[in-house]
Amino acid sequence: MQQHVTLKIDGVRVQAVKGSSVLDAALSAGICIPHLCYVPVLRDSGACRLCIVEVVNDGRTKITASCTLNAEEGMAILSNTERIRKLRKNIAELLVAQAPNSRAVQDIAVRCGVKEVRYPFRNDNCIQCGRCVRYCSEYSKADAIGFVGRGKDRHVEFAFGFRRDLCKKCGFCTEYCPMSVTPCGGSMKAGEGRLCGNCDSQIASLEHFSGICFRCELGKGFKCTRQ
Amino acid sequence: MRKLKKSSDLESLRKRLLAARRRIRSTIVICGGTGCQASKSPEVIAAIRAELAKQGMERQVHVRATGCHGFCEQGPLLVIEPGNLFYCQVKAGDAKEIVARTVKKGDVIERLLYTDPVSGRKVRTEAEIPFYQAQDRRLLGRNRSVDPCAIEDYIAAGGYSALAKTLAGIKPEKVIAEIKASGLRGRGGAGFPTGRKWAECAEEPGDEKYVVCNADEGDPGAYMDRCLLEANPHLILEGMMIGAWAIGASAGYIYVRKEYPLAVRHARIAVEQAREFGLLGGNILGSPFSFDVEIARGGGAFVCGESTALMASLEGKVGEPRAKDIHTVKDGLWHKPTALNNVETWANVPAIILDGARRFAAKGTKDSKGTKIFALTGQVKNTGLVEVAMGTSLKDIVFNIGGGAKNGRAVKAVQTGGPSGGCLPVDRFDLPVDFDTLSEAGAMMGSGGMVVMDEGTCMVDVAKYFLGFLQDESCGKCVPCRVGVDRLLEIVTDITEGRGRREQIDLLKDLADTISVASLCALGKTAPNPVLSTLRYFPEEYIAHVDHKKCPAGVCKALIRYSIETDKCNGCGSCLRACPHGAIYSGKKKVHVIDDKECQKCGICVAECKFAAITVN
Repeated sequence: MQQHVTLKIDGVRVQAVKGSSVLDAALSAGICIPHLCYVPVLRDSGACRLCIVEVVNDGRTKITASCTLNAEEGMAILSNTERIRKLRKNIAELLVAQAPNSRAVQDIAVRCGVKEVRYPFRNDNCIQCGRCVRYCSEYSKADAIGFVGRGKDRHVEFAFGFRRDLCKKCGFCTEYCPMSVTPCGGSMKAGEGRLCGNCDSQIASLEHFSGICFRCELGKGFKCTRQ
Repeated sequence: MRKLKKSSDLESLRKRLLAARRRIRSTIVICGGTGCQASKSPEVIAAIRAELAKQGMERQVHVRATGCHGFCEQGPLLVIEPGNLFYCQVKAGDAKEIVARTVKKGDVIERLLYTDPVSGRKVRTEAEIPFYQAQDRRLLGRNRSVDPCAIEDYIAAGGYSALAKTLAGIKPEKVIAEIKASGLRGRGGAGFPTGRKWAECAEEPGDEKYVVCNADEGDPGAYMDRCLLEANPHLILEGMMIGAWAIGASAGYIYVRKEYPLAVRHARIAVEQAREFGLLGGNILGSPFSFDVEIARGGGAFVCGESTALMASLEGKVGEPRAKDIHTVKDGLWHKPTALNNVETWANVPAIILDGARRFAAKGTKDSKGTKIFALTGQVKNTGLVEVAMGTSLKDIVFNIGGGAKNGRAVKAVQTGGPSGGCLPVDRFDLPVDFDTLSEAGAMMGSGGMVVMDEGTCMVDVAKYFLGFLQDESCGKCVPCRVGVDRLLEIVTDITEGRGRREQIDLLKDLADTISVASLCALGKTAPNPVLSTLRYFPEEYIAHVDHKKCPAGVCKALIRYSIETDKCNGCGSCLRACPHGAIYSGKKKVHVIDDKECQKCGICVAECKFAAITVN
């Protein structure tokens, strides 16, 4: 039989399967913690850091990503404090400045409250969330693509740069890529620093949510499809 | 060699070794550490050996090539025992004279002695040199008595007696209690209490556990761990064995970066010798304890010094950190409980067991016990490895031991803790150096790098240098570190190149805060420190760059201009000839003029001009 733990997320008592992550627990309870690199069927990676939360323990708080944090009995989690919203906004701003024309990334940025981008835009085609890489190795068991290089040079590549033959052509890498979800034809031109905020929720269409929704504060300012 | 089967075997071997030593007339100790190797100590060692052979003295006089003695600035170093006569900056050509005069006749060669820069007096022994006087060399001091490639030297110097003592009857809980009582904290940077780490690891169920020695030191300017492993590898092995006994591990790894070839070689030789003597392997010294160590070479990634990335690398995976919400003492190498400690931490263990926690804790401050090794580098007179009691002030280290800045300049700041550390200005030099004080001041103990900067250093440029290093070395997994540090660098570069705006300073602070809180691992979390600490202590320099487009230290090329003062220039033409860019031409009255368009701001003309006629502004 599955064991359960009870924890509190933003004051709401939530039951979660033992061993599941805090993000899993929150999403299944309808608490919408923004996330990007997380995919329910894949192992967590903690790369995008959008799903950060505050863990309150004996009056002391620690900030960490909720996708890599195991849900434990009696845990107290705050996912939507002012501090967290600010940090999340800054991270989303970094992301949208790297990939201004991905509708999914714009959507996340708007959802996290980004209105203005303080950095010059770069038109990278990849934000290195690693969804494709993890899907390829964990689900398709192909290991055809992986990360190569370090820091700024890190990129997704076939093995040794040429082993395309390992690819099973399942196509899930592109399907799970936030960049390939409806490229934005909207207002994000180079040199423009404002997000229109008119995006439909793109990422949400990729995820499995429970039927319940608290219509959280996070939805304000963008059209959450579930409001 | 016969294996040591019980601890009395070790004792009788030690007695035999010491008896054999007494038959030697004298020993010439020559530093063969990396620093002295760079100043050609292998040539000195070969020349001395050849000279002794020529004189037929190789049986009476023993040559010991050791690891680092610390005073790298004055290398190659040579000490003659007994008497501890200290020669510095020895050259191969001096070998004949040293053997003929000093070894044979006992004469002192004045020119090879160290000159005290303050009194101008020649001094004969280490003990009289200010650089050594202000130190407390509990770990480094042992280097001189040990040839790192000879386990016999280590045993003769009392080595492996802490292990023998442990195996003879100190229970694991007792070992951990002793380490806890000593107050030893991890020397790798974070300063986590070692005893607590071991206790948590020992409490974990299962009999497959590991100990790991982190020798992946990568901070620019830091070489403490390198020298310890090069100079006294058995000390680290002994520490690891005691740790393994305490937590119940039977396998250990030394993860050392491949850029340290000497450390790798010495560690490998040490492991082989320890196996040969039965100090590694099954039933060590007749006890039920079995333990072996493997050497793993790192591939040169800075991030692999982070414990989880190091373990991933050991497992053969890409060296990327993972979230540490579950500690490595529970879920470490191959998902087994693992106690990972830094080289210097392991090196401190044998003495704690042998001499007791109280003796170790007698030095240091309330929460930081013992001594700490620092690599004193940068624009300081006496560069080298320095070991001081915790709580020694920065002033003592930089001025008393380091001798202050070079070339008559003033010291401006010191950068502690490597790229993740911070810059402390000279008016904070009263601070005692310990884990907590440095963190509070916005710097970090780190593994012990200490880079001294003089007044010719631009602090914005320093921040840019470290950001560049970190951006290069970030694994790139998480957004705040990969993208955030890159953006920090972009902004700081803007500032140094004259494109800075006031609001960018606030953006720097805001972004730095995000990176330091939201990053995945400690590399990212500490990456903004160089920016934050320079912003905190040298805000006026940022303002000068941003508002006035000036670099006060005259470093940032885009913001400086070279010009020749007409009243000082006598038209000698030396700058004109030296300029590699042809940017200087001679005017009508023979006073030279610099063409701003052609000038590449290399500074060669300034060094060339004997009349100080060229100024930077």
